[in-house]
Amino acid sequence: MKNIQKILYVFIILCLVVMAVGCTPRNQTNQDYLVLMKTTNPAPKAIASDSKEANIIKDIEKDIESHNDLYDVAVIKGKEHILVVYKVKHMKRFHMKKIEKEVNEKLEKKYPDENFIVSSDYKIFLETVRLEEKMKDPNYSEKEADKELERIIKLKKELT
Amino acid sequence: MGKQKKTPEQQQYEQLQQKHETKRPIFKNCLKAFFVGGVICTIGQAISYFYIYFFNFTEQTAGNPTVATMIFIAMLLTGFGVYDRIGQFAGAGSAVPITGFGNAVISAAIEHRTEGFVLGVGGNMFKLAGSVILFGVFAAFVVALIKTLLIMWGVI
Repeated sequence: MKNIQKILYVFIILCLVVMAVGCTPRNQTNQDYLVLMKTTNPAPKAIASDSKEANIIKDIEKDIESHNDLYDVAVIKGKEHILVVYKVKHMKRFHMKKIEKEVNEKLEKKYPDENFIVSSDYKIFLETVRLEEKMKDPNYSEKEADKELERIIKLKKELT
Repeated sequence: MGKQKKTPEQQQYEQLQQKHETKRPIFKNCLKAFFVGGVICTIGQAISYFYIYFFNFTEQTAGNPTVATMIFIAMLLTGFGVYDRIGQFAGAGSAVPITGFGNAVISAAIEHRTEGFVLGVGGNMFKLAGSVILFGVFAAFVVALIKTLLIMWGVI
């Protein structure tokens, strides 16, 4: 009886390990494992490469980083939307909603013609960094990148 | 009943009883509950990050599959008789997190298995957990009602 129990334990642990390993996507870049643990400070990126747009998003990143309660800002500009993601300092996470509102208001005021999506979610941050990694590859087309950005925005809006 | 004056014999007996009563180690129990409960929640946090990393769940939505997984693990452990030991050691530390709910469901199901599937398992499975579901749903309803009213009046 005892033996059967032991075998069952080993079997279940094996199953869990196999499941965990099987779920790992193979084409993963090394960098994104630590994205949630440490400050990465990714450079702002525009999907359409244009020097004027590059300046705008650099300004946007600087504006947001000047906020005291957050760190690690990632900005990606697509065709329609500009995705702005940041991490909130741990003890300030109680005021997350307030901070999001502040950032949103600041951006809307300063850049009234742009369309902003603001998020402080770790998942969105992770996906943004992954997208930036992918965009380093010259074979990765603008259209694909824009599609991926829209997918991230859709994920952000999902609530259930 | 209730507040009746105690007779002298009763008072004497009470004093005797108090002298021999073993003291509960409240502080030690609290410490155990704190650490075991903390470990359970750490595992939950790890599972939540697992779902964020490898699946399409955001921080907001990762809570649902995490809770389901924790309950599932607690159910397995209850079935193997491990959770009883944890509960004996940690007390409230193992009962307050969501794993305590899974334990309550499965232990009731195991206990009444001998009475048959319908009247035994089916009828008694939610003996303990039923009150959790009932009051949980009711409390959620009341809170949602208050929030809806506040939004309608424009307070929030």
